Amino acid sequence: MSDQDQPDRDEDRILAGEYALGLLSPEAAAAFEARLVREPELRDAYAAWAEDFAAMTGDIAPQQPPARVWAGIEGQLFGAARRRTGLPGHGWLWGGVSAGVAALVLVFGLGIFRPQAPVAPVDAPYLADLAAEDGSLVVQAVYDDATGTLFVARETGAAAPGRALELWLIAGEAAPVSLGVLPEEARGVLDVPEALRDRVDGAVLAISDEPSGGSPTGAPTGAVLAAGPVRGI
Amino acid sequence: MTTRDDIETLILRVGTGDRAAFRALYAATSAKLFGVALRVLGDRAEAEEVLQEIYVKIWHNAARYNVNGLSPMTWLITIARNAAVDRLRKLRRADSPAELQERIADPGAGPEAMAIAASERARLATCLAELAATHAEAIRRAYLEGETYAELAARFDVPLNTMRTWLRRSLLKLRECLTR
Repeated sequence: MSDQDQPDRDEDRILAGEYALGLLSPEAAAAFEARLVREPELRDAYAAWAEDFAAMTGDIAPQQPPARVWAGIEGQLFGAARRRTGLPGHGWLWGGVSAGVAALVLVFGLGIFRPQAPVAPVDAPYLADLAAEDGSLVVQAVYDDATGTLFVARETGAAAPGRALELWLIAGEAAPVSLGVLPEEARGVLDVPEALRDRVDGAVLAISDEPSGGSPTGAPTGAVLAAGPVRGI
Repeated sequence: MTTRDDIETLILRVGTGDRAAFRALYAATSAKLFGVALRVLGDRAEAEEVLQEIYVKIWHNAARYNVNGLSPMTWLITIARNAAVDRLRKLRRADSPAELQERIADPGAGPEAMAIAASERARLATCLAELAATHAEAIRRAYLEGETYAELAARFDVPLNTMRTWLRRSLLKLRECLTR
């Protein structure tokens, strides 16, 4: 490592510590999570803090929870209402968002497009799987760079009443750029503006909770509900 | 006593959708995670609800356990701590400042717990002791009480930016000590 790298490395260590303590703003935490997806050194820095801080729980005495808690868990996960049988959800551990691609889920997801809904070309080169850590929101996106079209399929979850889900492109260190509000229908298309098209590959897509009609500020104002990296198929 | 390797094996099996492993993981770890949730929230009913949320997250995320390089108990404790802090922050937003003070739990010590090796606790305690006492307290409060920069600044009666600068410098010192 050159001396020049030292300040950056220190900054990243501090940032990882702030993230592990939950001190970052939602926007800064989302940007950090986007970097975690593709920076192994940052993951190591975060993991070191997580291990060290967990030691603060070392003197906390175990307490037996009442049986109703387990009953509640079983009911929630395996009750009659459970839909995603046998498929453990996706999710990055860090923070509230998840990243990662389950290509099989995506392929099956595309298979249930309604005939009248927009259908992604089967040979579209990029995909992203955005899932909330608790599985409450799952959105799949397929990007066709030839036309700048982003096909979105909302598998699970929806905007809260009177709220909207807004999709953001986070390319590298850049601030999130809005790609628009997700349609109310489960499936739809968003056009990626020409200026952004060459930034989609390797970027992170994130969904935030916003007022109806989308963020009034041009930046995410609500919680980041789900995120995932765009990957070449 | 369940060993670290046992816990890891259980998490990996849960990641494949193994419900029996999930039940065994719950039996082995729920008391510790309930303890953590109670410590953060200071309220049994809230801690019970959050514990349910925690194990739902564990079920959904176990398939990605390997991705982040955390040891098994740290992975579980981090999920528990983060979920409990999220809940606490939501409750705080609804609370008046007086109720907030009431809610902040005592940092009471309990009997030995299986999760964290005594050596790791000692190492952290030693390094926290090298910081100014108020800075170490701020880091503890951020982790165990979920206090934000704004809350810490109010507690220590300093401007927000001063609080942030303090804490960031302390994190760097702490990291240097911990990697020594």
